[in-house]
Amino acid sequence: METMSLLMHGFAVALTPESIMFAVIGAILGTLIGALPGLGPANGVAILIPLAFSLGLSPTSSLILLTSVYAGAMYGGRISSILLNIPGDEPAMMTCLDGYPMALKGKAAEALAISAIASFIGSFIATIGLVILAPILSKFALKFGPSEYFALFVLAFATLGGVTGKNQFKTITAAAIGLMISTVGIDISTGVQRYTFNTLELFEGVDFIIAIVGLFAISELFFFLERHAGDGLKQVAINKLKLTARDIINVLPTSIRGGILGFIAGVLPGAGASLGSFISYSLEKKISDKGEFGKGDPRGVAAPESGNNGAASGALVPMLTLGVPGSGTTAVLLAMLISLNISPGPMLFTHNPDLVWGVIAAMFVGNVVLLLLNIPMVGIFVKLLSVPPKYLMPVVTLIASVGIYSVSHSPTDLYFMVAFGVMGYILRKVGIPLVPVILGLLLGPEMEKSLRHALVLSDGDWSVLFNSGLSIGLWTVAILGLILPLIVGPIIRAKMRRSKDSVKDV
Amino acid sequence: MRINDRVFGMLMLVLAVAYGWEATQFPIPFGGQESVGPETFPILLSVILAISSVYMMVKPDPDEKWSPLPMLIELVVVVLSILFFAWAIEPIGFIPASTFVVSFLSWRMGASFAKSLMTGVIASLVIFFLFNNVLELALPLGLLEL
Repeated sequence: METMSLLMHGFAVALTPESIMFAVIGAILGTLIGALPGLGPANGVAILIPLAFSLGLSPTSSLILLTSVYAGAMYGGRISSILLNIPGDEPAMMTCLDGYPMALKGKAAEALAISAIASFIGSFIATIGLVILAPILSKFALKFGPSEYFALFVLAFATLGGVTGKNQFKTITAAAIGLMISTVGIDISTGVQRYTFNTLELFEGVDFIIAIVGLFAISELFFFLERHAGDGLKQVAINKLKLTARDIINVLPTSIRGGILGFIAGVLPGAGASLGSFISYSLEKKISDKGEFGKGDPRGVAAPESGNNGAASGALVPMLTLGVPGSGTTAVLLAMLISLNISPGPMLFTHNPDLVWGVIAAMFVGNVVLLLLNIPMVGIFVKLLSVPPKYLMPVVTLIASVGIYSVSHSPTDLYFMVAFGVMGYILRKVGIPLVPVILGLLLGPEMEKSLRHALVLSDGDWSVLFNSGLSIGLWTVAILGLILPLIVGPIIRAKMRRSKDSVKDV
Repeated sequence: MRINDRVFGMLMLVLAVAYGWEATQFPIPFGGQESVGPETFPILLSVILAISSVYMMVKPDPDEKWSPLPMLIELVVVVLSILFFAWAIEPIGFIPASTFVVSFLSWRMGASFAKSLMTGVIASLVIFFLFNNVLELALPLGLLEL
């Protein structure tokens, strides 16, 4: 009941005109970002952080803005899946399977509407899940000491590659690089300079917002140039919407199942939105396929969409309660929190209840806004999709750089941004994932702090890291997270590829 | 070819050793040596990076193809153009600098010269007025100030 009254309090925050305005702006921007190919949610949120920061928005407003962007991007990803057969972001891949065939059959508008409804149901269920689970988990997390936290950070990195991860050692390499960058600067507890080479700019360490924008947005620009992808792609024409109440009722059970499965996949470490949409699609196919799946069955559109939106909200649970994000985009949201001087984790719920519950309530509001936006206004977003990247990417790059510049009015920050862009390009070429690098940069200071606390308390005895049942459990999951993908990964990847190939044959 | 991972693994090994060695050279913090100091975490990291870079050299993945040389040169030119923007934003001013960089990028991505110039001019003006007048974040005028 305490939760209910807190949530009501949250709605009081989220329903102020200012909050609603930010939720609407965020939802529109997010849908655009998600719909544009090549500008994934992590990218989009990263570009907006410096802007929110230099505008001096209050923490609650910035967080409402950016979580709406996040939710909107998840909605937007489906548009290019359905119309172009190209997922706007990775989790939207499964939506291509039935969405594109539906569009080819001249039912693009129906596919878009059904996926919007399914997305809404998925996020709605998962947000309820978040309301129930987050306070419980944050109470539990209060039991964590420094050695448990250290194990938890290790777990976050170990499972980041996800069950579908390819090369575990590359994930580790990436994490190590990120953590190393985070050690640059003056050591907080002793004041010793580390890796600064006596350069003034490095004394305060490397700003992770610059690193994120460089690694994601600037390296993406290089890839666009390299692939000559400037002209954009042909899309299926959109028809007039003919949707009956029966069509909606038909996909309801599917969407509810998908939302619940997605939420679970989002909360669990290492699963993430891609797996959420994959699981709910395959389950739905098992339950209700009569040979229509893969040929444009509306339920095949609803299942992965509710799954990935459910997972997106579910992924906020570990981010808010433990301070450990499970995906690239939640990592970027964590960056936002840290730069606003709010430390996520169990204390967040006791110290900043206004903020947390305001944001959760804003997610409900944002979802309604998104549903309203997406059904009548989908045509506008589709128009914007047809702006070729050769005009769009340079402008996006400009906005990203202006954002970085306006944080501290220093051209040096821009040089750093370009350097990180080049680094991101090279890392992606060698197959090193970028998300662990970002996560390392973000979690590095906290991770080092908990290691040092644990070791100081035990007077340098390293066995302290494994001396409670809880930490041993966390280490076990971490090790499983590293080993399981080697066994299960190839099987799941092959399955995902097979179901995608079977569609191409149609 | 599996040369990418081998070369990159080698570079990372060098980085790991250099980074770890540097950590052992940190000055002893004020208050004397303790069981854990500023060097503990970096040394741990360098060991982890060394292990995974050796793995990459021993069991490399198949290469992703690098672009042919002309494309790489083009990318270098693009990097230089963004660096030029970063340098020019204060002395020359935001509008000319961003007009240049946006037009250049969009031209390199395949737009016609006239259209890319138009994109550059419009984007710069819109963003300048949006930032200065609506969002109230001053961008430098540079030469246009006179």
